[in-house]
Amino acid sequence: MEWSDHLYADYARMVHAILLGRVPRAEVDDLVQDVFLIAFKRINTVRDPAAFGGWLGTIARNRAIDHLRRRREETALPDEVPGGDPIESETLAALDAIRRLPEAYRETLMMRLVEGMTGDEIAAKTGLTPGSVRVNLHRGMTMLREVLGSKA
Amino acid sequence: MSDDYLWDGSGTPDPEVQRLERALAPLRYNDRPRRVQKDPPYIRRGGAEGPPKGGHYVRAWGPLAAMAAVVTLAVSVVWRTPAASWEVNALNGSPRVGAHAVAASAKLAVGQTLTTDASSRARIAVGAIGNVTVEPNSRVRFVETSADHHQLSLQRGTIHAIITAPPGQFVVDTPSATATDLGCEYTLHVDDEGSGRLSVDVGWVAFESHGRESFVPGGASSSMNAVYGPGTPSFDDATPAFHAALDRFDFGRAEVRPEALQTVFREAHHRDALTLWHLLSRVDARDRGDVFAALAARIPPPTGVTKDAVLRLDRAALDAWWESLELGDVTFWRSWLATSKR
Repeated sequence: MEWSDHLYADYARMVHAILLGRVPRAEVDDLVQDVFLIAFKRINTVRDPAAFGGWLGTIARNRAIDHLRRRREETALPDEVPGGDPIESETLAALDAIRRLPEAYRETLMMRLVEGMTGDEIAAKTGLTPGSVRVNLHRGMTMLREVLGSKA
Repeated sequence: MSDDYLWDGSGTPDPEVQRLERALAPLRYNDRPRRVQKDPPYIRRGGAEGPPKGGHYVRAWGPLAAMAAVVTLAVSVVWRTPAASWEVNALNGSPRVGAHAVAASAKLAVGQTLTTDASSRARIAVGAIGNVTVEPNSRVRFVETSADHHQLSLQRGTIHAIITAPPGQFVVDTPSATATDLGCEYTLHVDDEGSGRLSVDVGWVAFESHGRESFVPGGASSSMNAVYGPGTPSFDDATPAFHAALDRFDFGRAEVRPEALQTVFREAHHRDALTLWHLLSRVDARDRGDVFAALAARIPPPTGVTKDAVLRLDRAALDAWWESLELGDVTFWRSWLATSKR
């Protein structure tokens, strides 16, 4: 396994979670690829391994913003276009609710609830302190309960 | 209800969190193998980038990451002595200096690049201090030279250097780390991704990248990685299990590192104190006590070096312990580093 495979395996879930919080799910997998391609092209600029996760997250957010801007310019598509595996309405409702949360809570909850990462894993991958992750999870979940409660 | 379940799934399950986990599971990242480094990305016909919609994308380019690193490195070099040149002799085939094939010998000027293909080799006379053999499929750039400083950049391939100058005068940049000769003979290899390996035959090489440093003595090697920088050095005659575990520790996933570290401890012989000393500053703080114990079991810390100081990574304590390993004098390297921040 080469270093690029290691990095991909280690960080793909984090990148996927960040993107899924922002762009239609049918387009997320290919954007994950894009993000790693951009990162590998610029990887020579990263000398501190501890900074890699935060740097990769920034690329993912920027890539999502660029993609949405270009998408709006090209055509007005509904947020959830057909594609991917069919999913239940409960899934879409939960996804929609998390997407309404502030960015920090949204991303942390995506990593925990969608990707199944633990708090320690999220801290290790994102470069956030465990304390910040715990706060994001706790406050994010409180807000998510409120959003889901108000929709029920 | 505590947040333990929300934190890591332990403790009393939170029914609402469980319900959300079940509902959202279909969206989880599908961990099928993808090789973005080797497989071409998708680029839309016509040039605009973006994700595929209805097959309007084509596979377009190969592994460009290393190329990008090379370009970045090349454009960042500052030419300080443009008139200087070294002699290059062709050993096999037709190596090239810039665009010109070298039939027998040629001059390599500062800023120029020497390239060998699969069937060519060349030797560079490094002023009066030694020579560098450039093996096939390599690319070497002459960065600078002065009375007491000579620098190449190995962008890809393999070089074998024999240097007789005082320590610190001959430096080779790679995309992963900088190798500084401390009086020795060594082989340096860089692959297309900017990673590679340094193997020292005689003497010493200091391997450094942004404060992460390795001292590699004769008979030892150190891997290097474009992301992680120099790996932990180890003697070539260490056990295969030791080497494999060290690779997992240096460049493996976070989950495998604890097991890898335990294997390193188990497999380490007296001579592997070299590796254990380097690990002191590379492990997480919670593992540092274990590394201390493993190193102390092979080479006890010298008088005056306390466990507390080592666990704090006190530089003087680490250097004192290093000296007691009797592998080499670190004093020069420290003073050279202090004066060479150009």
